[in-house]
Amino acid sequence: MTNRRQSKVTRTTRSFLARLWQMRRVLLLIIPYLILFGWLFSGGSRMDVRPGEIYAVPGNPAWESPDKEHWFGTTGNGADLFELSRLAMASSVSVAVVSVSLGIGLALLVTMLFVFDGGKKRFEMLNAASRAGFLMPSMAVLVIFTGGSGGSLVMAISGLIFVIAFHLCPVLTAWFDEGEGGFDVLASYALGLTRREIVMNRILPKVLRRLIGVFAVLVPVVVLVEMALSFMGLTGDRLSCGAMIAYGQVLIIEAPWMAIYPGILASLVVMVLSLLGWRVSAALRTGNIPGIF
Amino acid sequence: MVRIFFHRLVVALIRFGAAGMALLVLIELSFCVIGDSDRHVWLRDSYGPVPAELSDKGVSWGGLVHDRMSATLPVLGLCLSGVFLVGYNWGVLGARLRRFHAARLLSAAFSAFACLPGFWFVVMVAIYSYFHWQRPGFANDVVVEEGPDLLSWWNACILALPAMAAAVGWQIRAVSGVLERELSRPYVRGLFASGYSDEDIFYSNVFRRSLPSLLALSDRTIPALTGSLIFEYAFRYPGMGSLLVESVLLQNYGGIIASSLWMMGWVSIFVLIKDCTVRFLKPDWTS
Repeated sequence: MTNRRQSKVTRTTRSFLARLWQMRRVLLLIIPYLILFGWLFSGGSRMDVRPGEIYAVPGNPAWESPDKEHWFGTTGNGADLFELSRLAMASSVSVAVVSVSLGIGLALLVTMLFVFDGGKKRFEMLNAASRAGFLMPSMAVLVIFTGGSGGSLVMAISGLIFVIAFHLCPVLTAWFDEGEGGFDVLASYALGLTRREIVMNRILPKVLRRLIGVFAVLVPVVVLVEMALSFMGLTGDRLSCGAMIAYGQVLIIEAPWMAIYPGILASLVVMVLSLLGWRVSAALRTGNIPGIF
Repeated sequence: MVRIFFHRLVVALIRFGAAGMALLVLIELSFCVIGDSDRHVWLRDSYGPVPAELSDKGVSWGGLVHDRMSATLPVLGLCLSGVFLVGYNWGVLGARLRRFHAARLLSAAFSAFACLPGFWFVVMVAIYSYFHWQRPGFANDVVVEEGPDLLSWWNACILALPAMAAAVGWQIRAVSGVLERELSRPYVRGLFASGYSDEDIFYSNVFRRSLPSLLALSDRTIPALTGSLIFEYAFRYPGMGSLLVESVLLQNYGGIIASSLWMMGWVSIFVLIKDCTVRFLKPDWTS
């Protein structure tokens, strides 16, 4: 009788393929993400574009209303509004991706400081702080923080990271508590594994898997928040759909398309990101995340 | 009941105090430590009378807050009615029709509407009003001096719509989720096997048992709702949300603290009511 034990390479390949098959829905969702991000960033990043300059109205404005050549019309100095809106959305999405990634990372880091303690009340301090901080609306915190610190992009990103981390900490603590009750964790304790081994190999992977869903759901929300802050002029003088709408509303009578079309593109991009986020969240069974903003 | 109320009141006051302290730290940190202001929050000189940019009537801080609050209350009232009436009713309906994924369908319209930037929506309404109805678009363009002030209710509705859209969508999904979790418990199968009707199981058992959990959801959307009031600034609506933004832009601590405390007070009141109700129904409840 031949030895049926498979080689290590075969076993690894099989388990890798099995894992890929389990994640097929999420992997399929990466394709539309790549298409959307590819389209948004295909023109490169133009952080040097100032909305104040492109929305300035010269003595003899060269603006054109939307037509077949310029879908969203042009600005006073003849710049294509569609291209500018796309650049603005790319900038907003970049800010959101960076803020959400770092916010989730910070929340995980803070929660992990308490996780290895085996006591029942290990998250008590974190949850008490969160219950008091819950009273303060996140948007108000962001407006005060970004406005007070001079209204720059770095401050807006820092504020977003802090707010996201603060509100995600109780969610993560609940997930860690939930993970503690699993049969595999109880079995691991019975087998005599250390707490570190149990947390790192049993509980943390489940939490990390759900964090991808959190990221996907939060990105469109943060895009909206970033646009709202830039509408109020709190993220510095840089291209964003919020700033474009703020400058465009001054020209409501002369060139109404300058406020209308950037908003339409922003809504469409946020809608697509939200749909993809919900699908990713459903595929990974992330659950209903409490509204932060 | 009285003991529960006073216990929760003390807890709410402690939390409110802690949040107030955090607000002062936030102002000091952002304006003085990171920003270049030398007006510290603890200095009396940092708080002056109401600046003319916030009110040209020459009112005191109390009068300004009263005026702004009267303008914001209809907006908040509309938002809260929408969230509680639509969110809870449609959420229960979504759980009842769970085999058709009704919760997802019912919340889809609100979630789609929430994808619109709120400030853009109110600006669009202003543009549409101007071009198609030939009347001033933004909220501060015209004041009704005689007859019923329907215009202010129209303005409040315009602001309430984007503010409540995301909250209603979330509430529908959350309410439905709580009920569906309760429906997946083993006793439901037992009741079904014993011959109970679907309606009887759902309304007399599942709904009744999950009532404390449903009530516990009632305050989850309030901070986001009050935070959405900053869209008042985009619509040039003279409310508490625009007071916060204008005060931040003017670096006026009095306006920032007044509007923020007002928002925090609202959230505290809702949390207190929720805590008392839930603990009255289920004394061993833990949040």
